Amino acid sequence: MSVNEKFSAIRKGLLEFLVLQIIAAEKVYAADILKQLSATEFATQEGTLYPLLSRLRREGLLDYEWKESEAGPPRKYYQLTAKGKEQLRETLEYWGQINGTVKKFGQK
Amino acid sequence: MNKVITINLGGNAYQLEEGGYDALRAYLEVATAQLQGNPDREEILSDIEGAIAEKFRALLASHKTVVETKEVAAVLTEMGPIAVEAGETADADASHAGVPKSASGSGAAGEGKHTAGSGGVPKRLYRIQEGAMIAGVCNGIAAYVNIDPTLVRLAFVVLTMLWGSGLLVYVVMAIVVPEARSPEEKAAASGFPATAQEFIRRAKEGYYEAMKGFPDRRSRREWKRRFKREMRAHTDQWRYNWHCYWAEHAPVHPGMGFMLPVLSILQGAAMVIWVCALISLLATGALFGLMLPANVPVWIAALLLLVAYGILVGPLKVARRLCYRSLGQPRWTWSFVFLLDAVVWLAVVAALLWLAVHFFPELRDAVQSLPALAHQAADDIQTWWNKK
Repeated sequence: MSVNEKFSAIRKGLLEFLVLQIIAAEKVYAADILKQLSATEFATQEGTLYPLLSRLRREGLLDYEWKESEAGPPRKYYQLTAKGKEQLRETLEYWGQINGTVKKFGQK
Repeated sequence: MNKVITINLGGNAYQLEEGGYDALRAYLEVATAQLQGNPDREEILSDIEGAIAEKFRALLASHKTVVETKEVAAVLTEMGPIAVEAGETADADASHAGVPKSASGSGAAGEGKHTAGSGGVPKRLYRIQEGAMIAGVCNGIAAYVNIDPTLVRLAFVVLTMLWGSGLLVYVVMAIVVPEARSPEEKAAASGFPATAQEFIRRAKEGYYEAMKGFPDRRSRREWKRRFKREMRAHTDQWRYNWHCYWAEHAPVHPGMGFMLPVLSILQGAAMVIWVCALISLLATGALFGLMLPANVPVWIAALLLLVAYGILVGPLKVARRLCYRSLGQPRWTWSFVFLLDAVVWLAVVAALLWLAVHFFPELRDAVQSLPALAHQAADDIQTWWNKK
């Protein structure tokens, strides 16, 4: 397994976390999420994002509402549910712990 | 010119070139198969369609009403393959859809760049009969190197015009290169997986099925009428592309239409000069008595001459289009000016050719010795090639 493949596995696991974080910050629609991710290592595509969003919704972590847009048909704007906020908080905490652990071992 | 197909994406109509329609159909079919067993399949598909529609909308403008095949391909590449979420595997259906399992979840970091159509089938050169002009050689080459068949055909025509070598190559290839017959061979000819080809075939049948579905003759006629109108809209689009953008937008003077004959004279003169230069080059190995540098073969000089002619005539053609535009709407002026134009052009070319042949006896000799020259040119190429 090349280094890149290993990184890709890590990114894949973290994508969900990042998407929750983006949605937590403000109500967004899918293209916003892609745009925010595009400049980062987590750049992804609709083909990945839509199935992910629909699973998160099914798990009750997020919800959406239809909003009119200035140009074109209405868009789905996503927002976190209480359960989603709770899970994001837990994940952030856990992420902090992991980060600390990684750094601690690095210093020895 | 390509056929245009109108589709409905998320409640809006879009016009796609036929190839783009096929690609989109194949993408959505693969997506549907990938999402087999996902409880939200319909919703995800409609989200995907909505996203594609949004990208198409961004491509269109008042002057541009049709999404081209390459634009559809770019949009689908941007969309990326449909990722299968953990625990919702598409099981047997994923492999059926021609997408390897290992690739199905790999969209995460944008590394999954294939569209539905490029599942990594090894390519081979075949002749392709669908849409072929003669034996499908050019069509096959075009699919193999993934460019427009028209370009390949044009290259063959140019080669044929120069020394007949294009014709020879064509005949040899028509005999040597096998024809793609089975679905697998057809897939290998373009590098598209066989399943995608199958989707495309089914998609194409949709048009006829839709026709069958109409209960009475009136609605069927209405459907046909609309179809024809779309075709016409596309022809206009094609014409627009054909015009240079700035020829369309530069200011015009109403009287410019009657400049057309003048332009024709210039263009005719350029052509006569070009033909004479070519003949003098082939006959004497020099350009109107001007010797070529020692290490430039005659055929390269001929090619350069062709390019020079193209460059010279280019601005004349643009000016011509400006003139067409200045003619405006009333059709009778159009036909009158065109007739005048054609007559003047023919007269100029005929007169100049007659003068050339009459006053330069070498030219007449040269024309008579052309067949022998063709052979010599072929030998020339051969020695040059062997030297390489």
